[in-house]
Amino acid sequence: VKLLLKLTPQTLLVLDAFLLAPKQWRYGYDISRHTGLKSGTLYPILMRMADRKLLETSWETTELGTPPRHMYRLTADGLGFARGRRASSSTITVPRTAFAGVKS
Amino acid sequence: MSATRRFAARLLGIAARCAGAESQEWAHAMLRELDYIESDWAALFWALGSATAIFRHSVPRGFRAWLGKRAGKWEAMMGESFAKKAVGVILGIVTAAAVAGTAFGIVHLLFRLFPAWDLGPVPWWVAVIVIPEIIFVVAIVALWRKRRYMAEGILLSAIVLITHFILHVANHYH
Repeated sequence: VKLLLKLTPQTLLVLDAFLLAPKQWRYGYDISRHTGLKSGTLYPILMRMADRKLLETSWETTELGTPPRHMYRLTADGLGFARGRRASSSTITVPRTAFAGVKS
Repeated sequence: MSATRRFAARLLGIAARCAGAESQEWAHAMLRELDYIESDWAALFWALGSATAIFRHSVPRGFRAWLGKRAGKWEAMMGESFAKKAVGVILGIVTAAAVAGTAFGIVHLLFRLFPAWDLGPVPWWVAVIVIPEIIFVVAIVALWRKRRYMAEGILLSAIVLITHFILHVANHYH
């Protein structure tokens, strides 16, 4: 099931964001700011990861009157998957310019 | 709260309300994040992107659930209906065969027990064919409304019996 997660550059960005502090719970907006992904791109990735049990979700317990926030953290499987995929795809996700390789 | 932020909140609220049960948690998660976005325009773009994500998540799941529910219902209905019909028709055929077999057995036994017994003007096929056919017709009429499938089984047997008789007569008495 885990193999079916499409490893787009955006997914790798999200995995990177989680790998910075693997044990820490992260908020959606914080991940968005960190990765530069819009909510319309970020949340489908988070949903897919959660569906594949790579991501655990939780509602933050807050003081009375403050609305709770949804938090995300990699599961043990997710952590292993992220580290493995990150290592194997590090060579192909280096940012390239539009005209890379074209000689003038 | 500015009009832009109000619009963003309302848009995401509507998307959250319209989302299916499986997307509710995610929809509310995106809605909550809206409170932590400083810029109004960023909040609006967040809401637009989130609404798109909610629909992309919710619509295929909702459609699959609807399709699954419909397919399950149809399958159950068809399965139940087919089994009910098959049992009814088989029961009708078995009943008809038992009636015809009994009639044939009684006539055969009478001939065996009383070889000298003469049916007189009544030919043997009246007992073997006509009487069972009359019983079949009566049974079909009686059962047609309440036990349609059984009646259909009896009707099928009656047709087979009469066809067999016609072919038999055609082959032996032409």
